[in-house]
Amino acid sequence: MSDYLVKVSGIVKKYGGHEVLKKVSFDLKPGEVHCIVGENGAGKSTLIKIISGAVHPDSGEIFIMGRKVRNLNPRLAIELGISTVYQDTEVVDTLSVAENIFLGSEVPSPIPIVVNRRYQNEQAKAILKSLGISIDPDIPVGELPLVYKQVVQIAKALFRQSKIIIFDEPTASLGLEETKALMEIIRSLKKRGMGIIYISHYLKEIFEIGDRVTVLKDGEYMGTYKVSEVDTEFLVRKMVGREVHLFYKRERVPIGEKLFEVKGLSKKELVENVSFEVRKGEIFGIGGLAGSGRTELVSLIFGILKPDAGEIYIEGRRYVPKTPIHAIRNGICMVPEDRKRMAMFLGRDIVENSVVIINELLKVAFLRKKEEMNMTRRLINELDIVTSGFSQLIEHLSGGNQQKVVMGRWLLDENAKVFIFDEPTKGVDVGARERIYQVMIELAKQGKAIIMVSSDMPELLSMSDRIGVMRKGKMVEILDNKDLSEEKLLRSFIGV
Amino acid sequence: MEGREKVVIEKSKRPFYSTQWFFLLVAEASLAIITGSINPRFFTLNNMVNILDQISVLGILASGMTLIILTGEIDISIGTNLGLVACVSAMLIKSEVPTFWIVMVALGLAVLNSMLVGISTIAFKAPSFIVSLGFLSVFRGTAFAITKGVFQTIYGKFETLGLTRLWGWFPLSFLIGLVIYIIVDFLLRFTRLGRHIYAVGSNSLAAFYSGISIAKTKLLVFFINGLLIGLASMILLSKIGAAQPTTGSGMELKAIGAVVIGGTALTGGRGNILGTFLGVLLMGIISNSLNMLRINPYFQEVVFGIFIIIALGVSVFSAYFKKG
Ligand SMILES: Nc1ncnc2c1ncn2[C@@H]1O[C@H](COP(=O)(O)OP(=O)(O)OP(=O)(O)O)[C@@H](O)[C@H]1O
Ligand SMILES: [Mg+2]
Repeated sequence: MSDYLVKVSGIVKKYGGHEVLKKVSFDLKPGEVHCIVGENGAGKSTLIKIISGAVHPDSGEIFIMGRKVRNLNPRLAIELGISTVYQDTEVVDTLSVAENIFLGSEVPSPIPIVVNRRYQNEQAKAILKSLGISIDPDIPVGELPLVYKQVVQIAKALFRQSKIIIFDEPTASLGLEETKALMEIIRSLKKRGMGIIYISHYLKEIFEIGDRVTVLKDGEYMGTYKVSEVDTEFLVRKMVGREVHLFYKRERVPIGEKLFEVKGLSKKELVENVSFEVRKGEIFGIGGLAGSGRTELVSLIFGILKPDAGEIYIEGRRYVPKTPIHAIRNGICMVPEDRKRMAMFLGRDIVENSVVIINELLKVAFLRKKEEMNMTRRLINELDIVTSGFSQLIEHLSGGNQQKVVMGRWLLDENAKVFIFDEPTKGVDVGARERIYQVMIELAKQGKAIIMVSSDMPELLSMSDRIGVMRKGKMVEILDNKDLSEEKLLRSFIGV
Repeated sequence: MEGREKVVIEKSKRPFYSTQWFFLLVAEASLAIITGSINPRFFTLNNMVNILDQISVLGILASGMTLIILTGEIDISIGTNLGLVACVSAMLIKSEVPTFWIVMVALGLAVLNSMLVGISTIAFKAPSFIVSLGFLSVFRGTAFAITKGVFQTIYGKFETLGLTRLWGWFPLSFLIGLVIYIIVDFLLRFTRLGRHIYAVGSNSLAAFYSGISIAKTKLLVFFINGLLIGLASMILLSKIGAAQPTTGSGMELKAIGAVVIGGTALTGGRGNILGTFLGVLLMGIISNSLNMLRINPYFQEVVFGIFIIIALGVSVFSAYFKKG
């Protein structure tokens, strides 16, 4: 028996001529949480895809529980006890919780071909209970909040008796409470002697649950450290190569007159009687727990959902939301929260993904390819997008760079007045996050009104001028961002 | 920002030998060489021109089908749509209606039929496969009803479109087909509608969030598809000089096959017209080779099917290979 669950060394991976991993080493012991940090595009996801067999390295050795494995593939990895909770959670929305857990290894019932649902449901319930979660295993996963998609994947790993669970940015789409719950679950997995590989851009989480941390920078292995022996500054310097302040000290922007106003906006069972206003140059944060109606609220403004009641005014003129294109023409921009589902055109290159909005606005019948390239180049430089070229498909960008592209497409619209950002820095690294904040400040300086929905407390606190707190579909409080603390804010979220 | 190397800004191209069209070209060339070495008549100008002539109708249909599939839909009624239009046109020709009106009716009817499929698909939020399956019967049934099953011959009339040879040898119908490929290629690559087609097929929710109208895009595509079916129908009628309700049936499968062999994803959002062109060409070469090699006619369909499956396999495999 070896001490290591996983040990890889000298891993090299190339895409085209681009070396995304350059002789990287990594190992994992039982009962530890080994974190991987690095900027967007550093190669974190690629490394864990190699460990989980989804990607083949060009060279390097992989040992799993002391055994050298040559041709690792996803199936073999699972058999060897490696489970992955991917960045973009992969569960089947229409199947029930139990069905998802048992997917691929259904338990037969006495009647041939028929699945033993009762048994599966009972088992699922037991596994979930061991994680301290009580949900009905019979409901379709699609109807549950996001965190349960991860829970389902964890339960699946437990059911397979995995020794190793890999998490790729599990908290990127989670709210506060959910993140806390997940941390709890990970601790309990650790106690069972499992090895956890954990990727996150939230360094706080790493200090909370990590034992060791490996830093990657541009595919280069920068070193592995005991979490107890390093601090945030050290990690950030290793990752980014320069100083970055975790708590972004934003520049103040003079705030002008009222630009955007919502009065009594309601939608049955989702949003109730919400009123607020945003002034020129103001960043209006919207906080609250997951499921408090934040995304629904901005969907109403953007014309995705139809409001039952309420009025919206832009520069004093009445605006009745109809469809997204109507909203866009009225100067409203929205970067939606779930980029894969709502924003990315898979199979299309970054140029097409960048210019989609501006083309709609200009109503060009014939494309101006040169212009499109120029605009894309501008975004690449402005947002520091790491890409191998114009024709790179968006799904081949790293997660954070995908986010920059789907955000950048809105920045080309210079006549926009209101910007809605729903979780703008989801999956974005610390350095790039500053970049996005700078972009938001720049927009504020131009006198735009900015609405920022965020589950990230430091983000809300450092960026917002005022914070509207959503609770159960209502905007219960609008707080001036003065002398606010995370605690105070959280108390308001929960309502105690 | 300092520190990070600036981006490589050039169109990085995949090496040519790993592209889909290269696989297809190799397949086509090898098949041609094999057939040609057994039967040298294969390489005569006459035979080459024949192949082009034979694939012009399929090419036009496959061009429309490419658009439909790119948006993530499918239309399996195009063959019977073509048959119905051919029957109606033949009957009009027989009753000496002026050519202008025949063309108008043919195009109009084909568009109407195709739009019916499109509108029903969108209105009922139903899979277009099932909707067009229903219309497939409706069109064929209508053709049977109006012709009462009688063969409609128009020998000697309406020959220009299908039988004209430019400079004495180049088929006009193939030239029309080429023009269609070029137009569709232009549409896909250089117009906003082309972008809409890819966007809707790639991720319709994201398209909606970006302000693109899904229904409008799909309806336009069904409209274009209708026009192309009308055109194809007239060319076919002109070539064979007769129509019956079963004219064109089976063409839908060949068209879908050509599109998929050409590398267009059935799920939509990926593919191009060059692939379709090569897919159609492959079908033409296979059919022609089977004749040249004097394969037993009863057996030809089987061999043809096997070739298609092989081509599909290679094509899918090369796509898989590409992903690495
Ligand atoms: N299939 C692919 N084809 C080409 N390049 C790829 C492919 N997959 C990843 N890359 C490139 O490899 C690099 C590393 O990507 P990876 O997804 O591992 O980054 P990451 O560290 O997980 O970043 P993030 O924090 O943004 O998720 C990126 O530059 C990306 O563009
Ligand atoms: Mg990643």
